[in-house]
Amino acid sequence: MTDAATDPVREGLERYVGRPMGPPSLAPDPVNVPMIRHWVAALDDRNPVYLDEAFAKTTRHGGIVAPPAMLQAWGMPTPKIEGIAERGGAPADYREDNPISALDAAGYVGTLATNSELEFVRYLRPGEQLHVSNAVDSISNRKTTGMGKGYFVTWITTYETSDGELVGKQLFRVFKFDPSTLDLSKLGGGK
Amino acid sequence: MSAAQKAPEKISVGDALPVFDLNVTTTVIVAGAIASRDFMPVHHDPDYARAKGSPHMFMNILTTNGYLARYVTDWAGPEAVVKNMKVRLGGPAIPGKVLRFTGEVLSVEEQGGERVVEVSVRAANELGDHATGTVLFSLPLP
Repeated sequence: MTDAATDPVREGLERYVGRPMGPPSLAPDPVNVPMIRHWVAALDDRNPVYLDEAFAKTTRHGGIVAPPAMLQAWGMPTPKIEGIAERGGAPADYREDNPISALDAAGYVGTLATNSELEFVRYLRPGEQLHVSNAVDSISNRKTTGMGKGYFVTWITTYETSDGELVGKQLFRVFKFDPSTLDLSKLGGGK
Repeated sequence: MSAAQKAPEKISVGDALPVFDLNVTTTVIVAGAIASRDFMPVHHDPDYARAKGSPHMFMNILTTNGYLARYVTDWAGPEAVVKNMKVRLGGPAIPGKVLRFTGEVLSVEEQGGERVVEVSVRAANELGDHATGTVLFSLPLP
């Protein structure tokens, strides 16, 4: 572990804490039955409250609700498929000034997702269109892990209805590491 | 159908959720990725994923979360309302490696006319833990 005061990379990251990872967005589509149907078919989720309106009305949901774990899916940007591989999977040609791009530029090009924490304030109904915003929650000091040296970056995405009602949140943490610092002799020794 | 409703009074700390084995195939991964609008090539293009240092194309996190939620609500029933899911991500879920879901009831509390239940969940394949964590949900009291 390195003290932030003596680590210029970490010092340069401090200005991102509390700031957005990227601009806020409006979900491309409102919560809708066709996307729910696609999801429950893909995951073979047979919970009837997601598609069977008559059944859902007999439950406390009172009608069809979206699968809670779809929260993040509603806000996924519409991708530009051409060139997506060359962009490393980024859905569009943009480059945000955020701690991820700053760490890429500093040589910490590896990315390992480590944590996802979803909070559902309530279930969503067809017709609700979400506003999505996010902010950097924290950045660790430099750490040495089984993947080498790097920084944990945590951000929180917030989902609100058009009335400004908070309906869900997701905390997401990645480890941005420098692959050249990976100690191969320690691979296989657990994570 | 998973319409069978679990009776909240029959859930106790230490209860094990039934084991669920997901036969992870290329189709399972691609279906989940596209249903979650995640077009990153590592989730549908094996050659691309291998070139990036992965053993194979692998399941995206949205799909993993979807299966974890499904695993709990398949057992808890359609009246369940999932309140949160806190997941630590591990090794990849890749084609040909069965993903085994297990879980156990950690706590049961009554809060405001509901029974609130926390379960631990684990999805693992022969490479190790893919995802571990907790899911908190509620059921209405009769």
